[in-house]
Amino acid sequence: MLATDQNAASRGPSERPDAAAGHLRVLLVEDEPADVELALRALRQAGFTPSADVAQTPEEFTGLVRKNAYDVILADYKLPNWNGMESVEILRREGLDIPVMVVSGALGELTAVECIKQGAADYVLKDQLARLPESVRRAIREKQLREENKHGQDELARSNRDLEQFAYVASHDLQEPLRMVATYTQLLSERYRGKLDADADKYIHYAVDGALRMQVLVRDLLAFSRVGRQGTELAKIDCNTLMETVLKNLQAAIAESGAQVICPQLPIVTADESQLMQVLQNLIANAIKFRGAAPPVIRVTGKKKDREWMFLIADNGIGIAPEHAEVVFAIFKRLHTRTEYPGSGIGLSICKKIVEHHGGRIWLESEPGHGCTFHFTLPVQPLPGKSEHGDEGDKNDA
Amino acid sequence: MAMKATKMMPEVLLVDDNPADIDLTSDALARSKREMHVSSVEDGTEAILFLRRQGKYRESPAPDLVVLDLNLPRKTGREVLSDVRADPVLATIPVVIFSTSQATSDIMGSYKLGANCYLRKPGNLVEFVAVVQSMADFWLGTVSLPPKEKR
Repeated sequence: MLATDQNAASRGPSERPDAAAGHLRVLLVEDEPADVELALRALRQAGFTPSADVAQTPEEFTGLVRKNAYDVILADYKLPNWNGMESVEILRREGLDIPVMVVSGALGELTAVECIKQGAADYVLKDQLARLPESVRRAIREKQLREENKHGQDELARSNRDLEQFAYVASHDLQEPLRMVATYTQLLSERYRGKLDADADKYIHYAVDGALRMQVLVRDLLAFSRVGRQGTELAKIDCNTLMETVLKNLQAAIAESGAQVICPQLPIVTADESQLMQVLQNLIANAIKFRGAAPPVIRVTGKKKDREWMFLIADNGIGIAPEHAEVVFAIFKRLHTRTEYPGSGIGLSICKKIVEHHGGRIWLESEPGHGCTFHFTLPVQPLPGKSEHGDEGDKNDA
Repeated sequence: MAMKATKMMPEVLLVDDNPADIDLTSDALARSKREMHVSSVEDGTEAILFLRRQGKYRESPAPDLVVLDLNLPRKTGREVLSDVRADPVLATIPVVIFSTSQATSDIMGSYKLGANCYLRKPGNLVEFVAVVQSMADFWLGTVSLPPKEKR
């Protein structure tokens, strides 16, 4: 970690010397030359090689932080024309992250706490300057951690966007060749069934089955990647009307299973209509699919709780073991074999993505054999959604 | 595929850069048991030459119906459609767009350029055959096509 000055210089002019090596660019907000000297001496005694500028006014301060990259700012609290804490405000406005140490005489405890609250890194009393170097070191280290953390978050966001873009392109472009495989293996099966031998018939059947299953996967993956791409169009939605459509869409499954869907007065919420419909439809379809021996009874409720709408979809189906309560929302995660329950394992991931895009949460409570209750929330006043990828998605939308 | 061309037999031109789709569409058309003659070209420029009976297509039949894919090399399906609609001789030929795209922009764009209908290519054989057959039944059975001699 300890770099010599020579090393620091060899890194070129674009990078600043490592402060930990001793070199320190300090900006002092101070009107008393003697106090400037005392502070610098304290730093020198602890092994720093400080180079210092002094700002007397907010204008000077702003000019200097714009021009030079400082490692730390030492600000007196009480100055003739301004308050040292204003430097914190200026830095915030300028979008700069430089630790500000309040160095002051007799600072009351309340004032000191207030300084930290407002964003100062630390405070050091002028008669305790021996504390200063350690405090500076810590503030610089904290800033490095902040930067690393920020970098990590940016990196994660970028990698998520890349992944989404990849999922979109892959699923979109896979559709065409897949259509060829599906239709032509079907044509083979239609033309040559019984004309080759039993093995051939079986192999062709496997190929057709695989291709059709992959089509479902690719189609669902495309739907999943679309949730983030297209953004949310918020509008006032009457959930009662929405449920009528959902039940109409699920008519066949409801009739076939003898399901009873009970939904008393549902609220009017602000959400993306087609996305909210997909959430409700996926959850109800799920409840029907994972039914127990008795005909499914599904209760849908929506109530205001604090600043959120809380929706509950409760069923009397086979339930989910508590240890699986989270993984079921993971993409492509299936808890059963395809023969037991068909599906791509993407439905709940889509629900989760939609709910989270609205600023809500989704989870489930269940006891195996005793049904399952899905909960999801929607903010009463959601932030307007935005598309993260512009609108290039629409053109390629197939 | 090539049935004997007679004066009465409708002429269909398939424009698709994917030979597998030309084969599949031809196969599905053959299943309809309708009398027709089917030709095919694999890009937009060839399609225009064929329709204008230029170059090597001097002796080719004049199509009564064009089945046009959108993503084509050299000249896109949209460009072919707009050329056809701008050409006084070809303008009245019914053009069916047959594409995998479901994008609103493609559907709207095609109708704005004067497509007679927009059909999406289904992903499996049964539906594919059904769509092509219903297209053949409608365009070669139900409708009165513009008479060629009036062009």
